[in-house]
Amino acid sequence: MTAIAAATVASTLAACGGGDDGGGSSSAEGGENEASDTGVTADSIKLGAHYPLTGVAAPGYSEIPTGVKAYFDCLNQEGGVYGRDIEFIFKDDAYNPSQTSQVTNELVLEEEIFAMMSGLGTPTHSAVVDFLNDEGVPDLFVSSGSLMWGDDPETYPMSFGWQTDYESEGKIIGEYIANEFPDAKVGLFLQDDDFGEDGESGIRQYIDDQIVAAERYTPGNTNVGPQIAALKAAGADFVVGFNVPSYTALSQLTALQLGYDPQWFYSNVGSDPNLVGGLLNRFSEGKVTDAALLDGALTTGYLPTVDMTDNPWITEFSRIWDECGGEGELTNYRVYGMSQAYTMTQALQAAGQNPTREGLVEAVEAVGSEWEGPVFAPFRYSEDSHMGTSGMTIERVVGNGSEEVQPVRITDIGDAEIEEFGGEAATPPANAIPDEEAYEG
Amino acid sequence: MDYFVNVTLTGLTQGMIYSAFALALVLIWRSTRIVNFAQGSMAAATTFIALALIQAGQSYWVALIVALLSGFLLGAVVERVIIRPVEGGPELNAVIVTLGLFVAIQALIAIVFGSSFQSFPTPFGVRGFEVGGSTIPLTPTSLYVIGSVLITMALLVALFRFTRIGLAMRASAFSQEVARLLGVKVGGMLTLGWGLAAVVGSLSGLLIAGGGFVYPAYMDSLIVFGFVAAIIGGLDSPVGAIVGGLILGLALSYVNGYVERGSALVSVAALVILIVVLLVRPGGLFSSTTARRA
Repeated sequence: MTAIAAATVASTLAACGGGDDGGGSSSAEGGENEASDTGVTADSIKLGAHYPLTGVAAPGYSEIPTGVKAYFDCLNQEGGVYGRDIEFIFKDDAYNPSQTSQVTNELVLEEEIFAMMSGLGTPTHSAVVDFLNDEGVPDLFVSSGSLMWGDDPETYPMSFGWQTDYESEGKIIGEYIANEFPDAKVGLFLQDDDFGEDGESGIRQYIDDQIVAAERYTPGNTNVGPQIAALKAAGADFVVGFNVPSYTALSQLTALQLGYDPQWFYSNVGSDPNLVGGLLNRFSEGKVTDAALLDGALTTGYLPTVDMTDNPWITEFSRIWDECGGEGELTNYRVYGMSQAYTMTQALQAAGQNPTREGLVEAVEAVGSEWEGPVFAPFRYSEDSHMGTSGMTIERVVGNGSEEVQPVRITDIGDAEIEEFGGEAATPPANAIPDEEAYEG
Repeated sequence: MDYFVNVTLTGLTQGMIYSAFALALVLIWRSTRIVNFAQGSMAAATTFIALALIQAGQSYWVALIVALLSGFLLGAVVERVIIRPVEGGPELNAVIVTLGLFVAIQALIAIVFGSSFQSFPTPFGVRGFEVGGSTIPLTPTSLYVIGSVLITMALLVALFRFTRIGLAMRASAFSQEVARLLGVKVGGMLTLGWGLAAVVGSLSGLLIAGGGFVYPAYMDSLIVFGFVAAIIGGLDSPVGAIVGGLILGLALSYVNGYVERGSALVSVAALVILIVVLLVRPGGLFSSTTARRA
């Protein structure tokens, strides 16, 4: 009934003005859903993504899209966004940039997606970021902490980061080591690309004089013997790894061969204890006496993890996984995917009833920094910065879980100070479905 | 000094793995005179069979034996069903067919066993031995690899040098017509050659996987390095395959360990080594006399 009453108002105006109930209430504000841009129809919005579903980077990362999909499936059951179902199409690039180009072409030109979201990987996504921006496809919430998605919106106006960038992460890690381990001789184990470089530049801002070696591996070359041997030879007793999860397992295995036992600190992306433990446990059947190899390792966090069973977000995400997920259990990678889907839902709501690609980008720039969600610290989105969240805790791996050793601290790229985060953790709204107003411009 | 020892031992172990794969290539070359690009994915297929058995609770050794047997079967079937129709045509045809097989088998593995990254157990430890208070990167598992490869090589040398079957296999590969005139059952020999080569390939697949990680394409980089090792060794000589593998393993380990950003240069280095060897000795280091290379 309200729909009929409100339909007397000019539909475009209503779409802009009636944003007080943006979420699952379909076209209750009055305007009609229109096919307002590529990939948008009256009852669906098509989003695309690329992930390594096979190959050396697949462990863990291949679970992210299952989390995204479960969240959107549950969201669709509750009415989607302005009555539109979210259709999420993801393709395998095997962490191989040439395949990323191919599948992105398919997504943009054949599937005609409205926007890209959560495309994973620094080397992979670098291969398509120019194409997406040239084509004017919104490239939201890239699953990589590289700076390049967010530090230069003039060059890449359509791209947005999401997770804490590797430089800020490096800075927070560096500060922590300087305070807590001032005498440690630090070795760096780095992926030989922007991921490792950004992390290194952040960490060197604080402990340049403590670093005794920086070793780099190339993804795909699974022999990291020489790198680990070099860290050992340099006398490093504290190793910080900016590496993907399978290389955490490889570095642990190689260190075991070498009898090398420093204090390990894995940056967030490579540190999932369940995954690494799962990869290594087959060696533990009488061969590796210490089953929990990662026990005691340090890492960072910017999202709640599955072991925090009393965290309300984890409770909600568990429910979503039970109701809309597939096989297997809720994992940290699926939490990551759901959290991105949550932010994406906020963005689509903010883009209004009949979203356009440009409108979506404008909305994220204008109101994205105000969004609350599972992520610990706010996003830095503005016209001048497309950087994602900026805050991180430091945690110690204990068994398959972790305990916080330093609360959330926030910073920014460059020489921005590191500060304590004063805000409170957000609690999830009903059904973990956000309710953002449409941004009116 | 420690570092040098570490890098050297890593290279030797890695080289032994290349050798294992090169041995399988040499075997098939000697017994059929074609280069089998599908060797890697055939080995991966049997490794996944072994992994499935181990996951079902069987012991490593049962899984190993089943994998080797299924390797033999796979090799024989591939020869009879897929290679036989193109044998006798231009040599290139058979080689291109193996290239197609390589892709097809890899896809089949992903369909049957899934494409996830999994650890593969080893019957021996993965901790390095202690020597004089420091741990060296030589593990019980690497000794097992080295031992198995050397024994396999010895068996192959014996097979080709001292047995009638070995002689018949070489004869069939070298000249089918002449061999046939001399009473050799050429068809059977070719099937046997493929079967045996696939057994050695399966063994190399299992040795490479043990104490490491597998996924359908895990043999890809080893295929390249295994080929390079076999070519360095002359493609015709089991001893050459071992030496080629060791040279390559050491060289790549030094590049990885001593060159700035060497990890990225490993594949390039393999190509450079290959070119240098072929320039200096076009037939490979252990090539047999020119007269035999028809």
